Amino acid sequence: MAMVNRPQFLPWLPPIGRKTLFALAVAFICFAFAFPVLWLILTSLRPESGVYYVHRGTEFTLASFAEVLSDERIVAAFLNSALISTLATVFSLLVTVSSGYMLSRFTGPASRLWFGTIYVFRCVPYISWVLPLYFVTQSWGLYDTYTGLLLPHIAVHICFFSWLMKGFFDGIDPSMEYAAMIDGCTRWGAFIRVAVPSALPAISALAVLCWLFTWNEFLFALILTGNRVPVITVVMAQFVTEMGLRWNLMAATAVMALLPAFLIALFGQKYVIRGLRI
Amino acid sequence: MFGEQQRFVLLLIAPAALLLLLFQVVPIVIGANASFRDWALYNPKKTWIGFDHYVAVITDPAFLYVVLPNTFLFMVLSVAGALVAGLALALLLNRPFRGQKLVQTILLVPLMVAPVIAAIMIRWIFNDQFGIVNVVLEAIGLEGQPWLVQRWSAFGIILLTDIWLWTPWFTLLLLAGLQSLPKEPFEAAAIDGTTTWRVFRYLTLPMLRPVIVVCVVIRAIDAFRTFDIVWTLTGGGPGRSTELFSLYAYVHAFLNLDLGRGSAAAIIGGLVILVIGVVLYRLVDRIAKA
Repeated sequence: MAMVNRPQFLPWLPPIGRKTLFALAVAFICFAFAFPVLWLILTSLRPESGVYYVHRGTEFTLASFAEVLSDERIVAAFLNSALISTLATVFSLLVTVSSGYMLSRFTGPASRLWFGTIYVFRCVPYISWVLPLYFVTQSWGLYDTYTGLLLPHIAVHICFFSWLMKGFFDGIDPSMEYAAMIDGCTRWGAFIRVAVPSALPAISALAVLCWLFTWNEFLFALILTGNRVPVITVVMAQFVTEMGLRWNLMAATAVMALLPAFLIALFGQKYVIRGLRI
Repeated sequence: MFGEQQRFVLLLIAPAALLLLLFQVVPIVIGANASFRDWALYNPKKTWIGFDHYVAVITDPAFLYVVLPNTFLFMVLSVAGALVAGLALALLLNRPFRGQKLVQTILLVPLMVAPVIAAIMIRWIFNDQFGIVNVVLEAIGLEGQPWLVQRWSAFGIILLTDIWLWTPWFTLLLLAGLQSLPKEPFEAAAIDGTTTWRVFRYLTLPMLRPVIVVCVVIRAIDAFRTFDIVWTLTGGGPGRSTELFSLYAYVHAFLNLDLGRGSAAAIIGGLVILVIGVVLYRLVDRIAKA
């Protein structure tokens, strides 16, 4: 059917005009989407005084980055964010892959009940459980600790990711697992050695998403931590109020906070696009 | 006690269920308990006062006439904006052209940007003295605006930031949906010489319906709890005119130090969104079917 023409955009225009218009439109859209980030990068490269006329002047410097990196609190915040994101990703996947597998492979009251539960809790606004979690973590002695921040970050993804994982496993034919069990595999063996490897593209997609979500999360850290566990989003939000005039430093911090997310996303883009297509 | 299969099933969900219980169910129960008590952070008497906090919240003019309308307006406009933009971009990316991969990567950029960072960028771009928007406006002879200290321009900017952040989500999921549609109906339409608009209206849109419904429901529920960008862009200001529901609960609990009242607001919001979640699902499904 290669001969069939697709319906054309603006069919009355001559092909040349159509192509130019299309290219211009696409270029404009890309510009609009990338502009805030480009502007941020440009701002971060301007010297202290140049920041107020970013649009003119040609002096560029990396001094803002050097100054930001000499601030111990910011460096600690970067390390904390990276550590918590990584740990949260690992544990969150351990927990949700098995829960999603259960939802996909078993029917019955237990499965229906669990599905209903995660569906309802997916709707609950974060503030409605993180706000009281503030005094729960205080009474458990977890306030302002790694554990106290990590565990809620694992818990928050249970509902959404179990639901996504169920969809992924639904798309995988279970007959391979039955075959493995006939050959003497236990249920756990069939799950870990057969089902999990075939769901690996989807699991990679979730890993990328989970890492990004945790790295970008703000409200939990704002409520559940004080001074001992600074994370990057909270430190940056404090910046806005404390150093509201030093935009070059703020931009430099923001660019550095974007960098790991960009790398992860660029590297994981194909997994996410492939994983979400199942 | 259990059969071998039941043990397997229970073990599969046990860790998830335990975490959910400890970090969502228990806090919600404790929060519900706190919402009935006189629980100020500086003076936690914890005496039972019944529904006083709930009455205070739902008779608070700021909550009724500012926060609730803001939250709903924001939810509707943000979801509608991101859906339209996301669908347009998905349709664009669905036809092959040169540089399509590059364009796709650029369009997915906002996905990686933390809401807090997005808010900081936008704040800088719309800065009243040095922001590029005012510089450009003044260069072409218009007057610069103090964007973030006027109610509706501030609200518009928050909305724009949110749409910028979430459009790629719609694009990604709708593109995946578009690419999994069967080809034959489109080929038949092309042979019949159907116009682009009619193909979109009578083929693409109805066939994409399930994906659109899921996207809209998920996104609407998330838009209801928006916190980060409002907090960083305006802090709810000017005055309290751009406060959304999450901010209202946060402000009462941690700035006014009244955990009881904050918890009551959080519970009310949770109940509202539960009702909306159910209604929305039915409504969107019916509209999409028509």
